Amino acid sequence: MNQDKTPMNILLADDDEDDRTFFNDAIKELKMNNKLTIFKDGEELMDYMSDPDALIPHILFLDLNMPCKTGHDCLKEIRANPRFKDLSIAIYSTSSSEKDIEDTFIGGANVYIKKPSDFNKLKKVIKDVVNMNWQYHTSGLNKETFFFSI
Amino acid sequence: MKFLRKNQHALLLKIALAFIIVIIGYLTTMFYFELKNLNKYVSSIANSNEIQIEFEQLSSSISNNENCLQSFIISKDSSYLKNHLIFKNQIKNHLIGLHHLRIKIPELKQKTDSLNKLINQRLYLFDKTLKTVTNNNYNSKLQNTKLLESSKYNYYFQNFIGKIIDQEAKKVLFEQNLQKQAIKSLTETIFILAVLSLLIFIVSFYKMNFDLKTVIKANYELKFLNETFRNAELIAGLGHWEVNLKTKKYSYSDNYIRLLGFEPENFDSTLKNVSSYIHPEDRERMLKLHQESLINKTPTATVTRFLVKNEEIKYFKNVGNFIKNSKGEDVKIAVSYDITHQYLNTLKLEESNKKLLEINAELESFNSIVSHDLQEPLRKIQMFISRLELNEVNKFSQESKDYFQKIRVSANRMQNLMVDLVNYTRALKGGKAFKTTNLNELFEGIEEELSTNIEEKNAILTIGKLPTLNVIPFQIQQLFINLITNSLKYSKLNVNPKIEIFEQKLDLEEIENLKSDKFIKIIVKDNGIGFKQEYAENIFLLFKRLETELSYAGTGLGLAICKKIVENHQGHIKAIGNLNVGAEFIIYLPKTV
Repeated sequence: MNQDKTPMNILLADDDEDDRTFFNDAIKELKMNNKLTIFKDGEELMDYMSDPDALIPHILFLDLNMPCKTGHDCLKEIRANPRFKDLSIAIYSTSSSEKDIEDTFIGGANVYIKKPSDFNKLKKVIKDVVNMNWQYHTSGLNKETFFFSI
Repeated sequence: MKFLRKNQHALLLKIALAFIIVIIGYLTTMFYFELKNLNKYVSSIANSNEIQIEFEQLSSSISNNENCLQSFIISKDSSYLKNHLIFKNQIKNHLIGLHHLRIKIPELKQKTDSLNKLINQRLYLFDKTLKTVTNNNYNSKLQNTKLLESSKYNYYFQNFIGKIIDQEAKKVLFEQNLQKQAIKSLTETIFILAVLSLLIFIVSFYKMNFDLKTVIKANYELKFLNETFRNAELIAGLGHWEVNLKTKKYSYSDNYIRLLGFEPENFDSTLKNVSSYIHPEDRERMLKLHQESLINKTPTATVTRFLVKNEEIKYFKNVGNFIKNSKGEDVKIAVSYDITHQYLNTLKLEESNKKLLEINAELESFNSIVSHDLQEPLRKIQMFISRLELNEVNKFSQESKDYFQKIRVSANRMQNLMVDLVNYTRALKGGKAFKTTNLNELFEGIEEELSTNIEEKNAILTIGKLPTLNVIPFQIQQLFINLITNSLKYSKLNVNPKIEIFEQKLDLEEIENLKSDKFIKIIVKDNGIGFKQEYAENIFLLFKRLETELSYAGTGLGLAICKKIVENHQGHIKAIGNLNVGAEFIIYLPKTV
């Protein structure tokens, strides 16, 4: 994409402080030209998203298990808003249950990432997802490639 | 169909009967007319005979009279004249007789008229001759003339009578012929009538006999059924009752009374009395329901509590429906059976089912704790380990480095264990999503998942042509992943692991053991450290591990999961070990699951 000119706008919504730190560190170490905005829960994320003046992000990394407004709720609200039709959503969760994968796939997420247990793997995942050919990933609605294997 | 045929049969019988009755009617009419004809012939013959006799007697009387006259002329004896008067009277009598006949037979009129004339003339001539003879001036010439005239007349007269007699004789002959014919046809008619009557009699007898037998048989069967039903009610714990909607009369079967705990002999079988044994909480509702059903004529099905003899609570299931009796009146028939035992059992079952569901739900939440909540902190531990490993480990003392390594291995082992536990519970639950799957296609995913492992160990994986089966795809994938992981794990040091997966035909012994040839046999064979055959059964047990060395880091769950998965598919798995040579896992899966 156009990461060389304008910085890529990435969002992360995760209620776990450690995970937020890991993610932030990984992005920093990757030294990619991007802007990361982090939210502590679903409500914070949705407040930002509902601000018409805010920049429309390129990619959203969305945790599922969050208090009050869960990742599922956020996904539903975002996909109901035509303003974000070009936003790519990557589910970022500890769970790898069939139900969660199925539900988010149907809900309109673009990719499903199971949180890795190794920092190097985390970096690899972020890099791969950011550099992903989204055109291919959004148009196909391919369930086989939906679950992102590391 | 059968009913229709029976109906047709009856109709045919009726038509035949009507036909025969028409024939008999016709024959009887014929018989009547033929008899009448015969009668006519008989009376006609009798008449002719009478005429003949009369005429013959008349003729002989006249001849006698003639004789008397001639005798008198010759002898001059007047006593002959006395006889002459007698014969004259006879002639008169015969003429009267003829007159009677004439009334009976009109055709005779002309003939008797002519005859009367002739006789009168003859008698006149006779008197004349007599006068001539008795005259004092006897004239023999005149006498001769008169006698000649008499003689001529006599001849003419005899001729006339002879002709009539002849005619009558001919007539008699002709009529006798007709009579013979009439008798013949009469005989035939009588014969046919007799045969037909006999036929009707035989058919009626046969039919009556047949019907009687059917009725007797039906009666017997009905009796038998009744008896059977009575016994069946007793054995099955059933009772029934019925109410005639027109007469409002209720009747209860003996066993229904017994269900209430009473003997039928001393029980007041009225609706009021029976209702008094319905549980007070159910009574009003039940009676209302019953009355409504009588109005709407809708079938009923209820479960009612009864407070039977000794205040014992019983549960009756009642099914009621409406039929019409032979008089066309509506009758409600209801069957009740005692389901107390089943009902209480069902209650117990429901209770244990509820408990089972609760336990299942607890297991489910345990599963979710293991799969998510426990993995979450573990993953973080691993993440911190990896961070330390990248940035800090070089600053550690040698001892710290060793400890750190042990922490890392333990954390990995714990993660493996949890993944396996989740997999095991998933296999236990056994999702029922069976799908026709080409196993070779499944191996694409399997190889991808194991690629790092295979590369690390420099293993050679050979997969033969595998069949297409109806399986739960993710479970079969898990099965082969576990088996290959197992082979990789227990490979010999410094030897490239070789793992072969192929299909083989069943041999006769296997068909006998499996009691079927409808199985597919797939073998996973390696060149690893193998095991002693005596442990072959143990390796499939939960948390049973044969190797205790840390280098062979297993969770003890992998093969147990395999066994569970194969069992989910109604298949079998067995292991053949050869210490230091290798292991062979044989999987039997049914061709159709």
